[in-house]
Amino acid sequence: MIEVRELTKRFGDRIAVDGISFEVRDGCVLALVGTSGCGKSTTLRMINRLVDPSSGEVMIDGRNALDMPLEQLRLGIGYVIQGIGLFPHWTVARNVATVPRLMGWERERIEARVSELLELFQLDPGEFAGKYPSELSGGQQQRVGVARAIAAEPAVLLMDEPFGALDPITRQRLQAEFAAIQRRRRMTVILVTHDMDEAFKLADTIAVMDEGRILQIASPEELLREPRQGFVRTLVGLDDRALRILSLHTVDEIRREPTGRWEVRGETLIDRESGRAVNGLGAGDTLREAASRIIWEAVETLPVLEAGSVVGEVRADDVWAAGGRRA
Amino acid sequence: MRRGRLIGLAVALALFLALALQPGLFTPLLSLLVEPGTPLVYTRQSLIALAVWHIAVVASAEAVAVIVAVALGILVTREKGAEFMTLARMTSNLGQTFPPIAVLAMTVPLVGFGFQPTFIALAAYGLLPVFENTVAGLRGVPATTLEAARGMGMSKRAILMQVELPLAAPVILAGIRISTIINIGTATIGSTVGAKGLGEVIIAGLQAGNAAYVLQGAMLVALMAVCFDLAFRSLERRAFA
Repeated sequence: MIEVRELTKRFGDRIAVDGISFEVRDGCVLALVGTSGCGKSTTLRMINRLVDPSSGEVMIDGRNALDMPLEQLRLGIGYVIQGIGLFPHWTVARNVATVPRLMGWERERIEARVSELLELFQLDPGEFAGKYPSELSGGQQQRVGVARAIAAEPAVLLMDEPFGALDPITRQRLQAEFAAIQRRRRMTVILVTHDMDEAFKLADTIAVMDEGRILQIASPEELLREPRQGFVRTLVGLDDRALRILSLHTVDEIRREPTGRWEVRGETLIDRESGRAVNGLGAGDTLREAASRIIWEAVETLPVLEAGSVVGEVRADDVWAAGGRRA
Repeated sequence: MRRGRLIGLAVALALFLALALQPGLFTPLLSLLVEPGTPLVYTRQSLIALAVWHIAVVASAEAVAVIVAVALGILVTREKGAEFMTLARMTSNLGQTFPPIAVLAMTVPLVGFGFQPTFIALAAYGLLPVFENTVAGLRGVPATTLEAARGMGMSKRAILMQVELPLAAPVILAGIRISTIINIGTATIGSTVGAKGLGEVIIAGLQAGNAAYVLQGAMLVALMAVCFDLAFRSLERRAFA
């Protein structure tokens, strides 16, 4: 649990962060979103005190971060930055082991932890442990950067534009990987990004910042449905909000009991009403994917498949309703 | 590349040892330079003993120069030491620009003839390249790397010892190499104030108008410099493996 109260940072006459407050509950991801210079990075850096606050409080699990010894505080906080900042003279394994070593873990424990983390980030320990950062691709480096940050299971993970320097395909893959890891590990995360899509994908709560203040703090869905006038609307973008709302929900949420119209014939699935072969949806697919498939196939209903058998169906009307204005 | 360096080192070292231990082998070459009947090989001291003395004075002066220059370089790149930058740079510049021969002239009345004045002149002369390279090396450590190190909770000392110095090592080593090479050459002037070294051979040659002596001494100094240069370069490459 992170509680930030009336946090302020002045650089001379300029106020970079202007008395902001928020909370991040255990296991949740908060995204700080805004344009360059809005104070989001400064806010993040005040939490691990790379920047000293001018006033205000940061409480981590009930303890005042400003009273804790600096190095002890930082050892308990994972930190990922856009430039990654891997140590170029150390191997991947040594990089990941940085914080456990500083904390004085035993060798076997460190080795086991490094292997576990490399596997978690889909880097074969046998192949990658001994490599140097310069031998890795950008995506691999960023995976190592995140693995290094969470190596000692910190109470809090701070991420500053973690996927910003990657090409779009690698970025999306890493976002998906991180989301999957987060679903299992339930870390308490503050993510700084200027990429609204990234915030929608990864965050439980989004705080929109401008000129050092939080303009709106809300769940992704609330932000899409009820964005405040002005900057928040511009940033969120209203043109495709229905599709964005759909991407926040899964097929599982609106699926109905299957009717008898689906027939499995060997490998293919037949819609008895039209006599055509159809591809089913997965229960974990987003409603955005479902909508796209419904439009493409020009059908009213699609079956939901799980392990080769039909477990339900999704109706177009239900999808439209999920993405539409609430009465 | 690496193989070429090793072969070069072996050749230079072999030539150096041959010239220092068996100078007689070179008499046909040396006889071309002088009138018949002039002594060709310097025999007042063994050449290898002079070479060892030469190395000793350079190495001890260099050790002091490195300690002082690296310490200064670290100091001025710390947040609290930045104000000493101008002073440190002035000191090391002065050490480099003040002619070593003038340093000898000034220090002999204070510390006497021989090893000491030479040692002082060389230590002062060797400061600048090491200092400048230490500063450049430490400043060259990527900002993101330092930010990551701080953010992860490394102490300032740990950041310096485990991150900054190892990353700056190749550049610092290059500074030490340049400084050493310069001083191997400069150390020859120590013989004017009675320090033992290869300069003795050159000066004896100059005094007696014996080009064979001058060439012998100069060749030994040059080959020694080449050997150190190549050895340091392979060390620099290894420092960042």
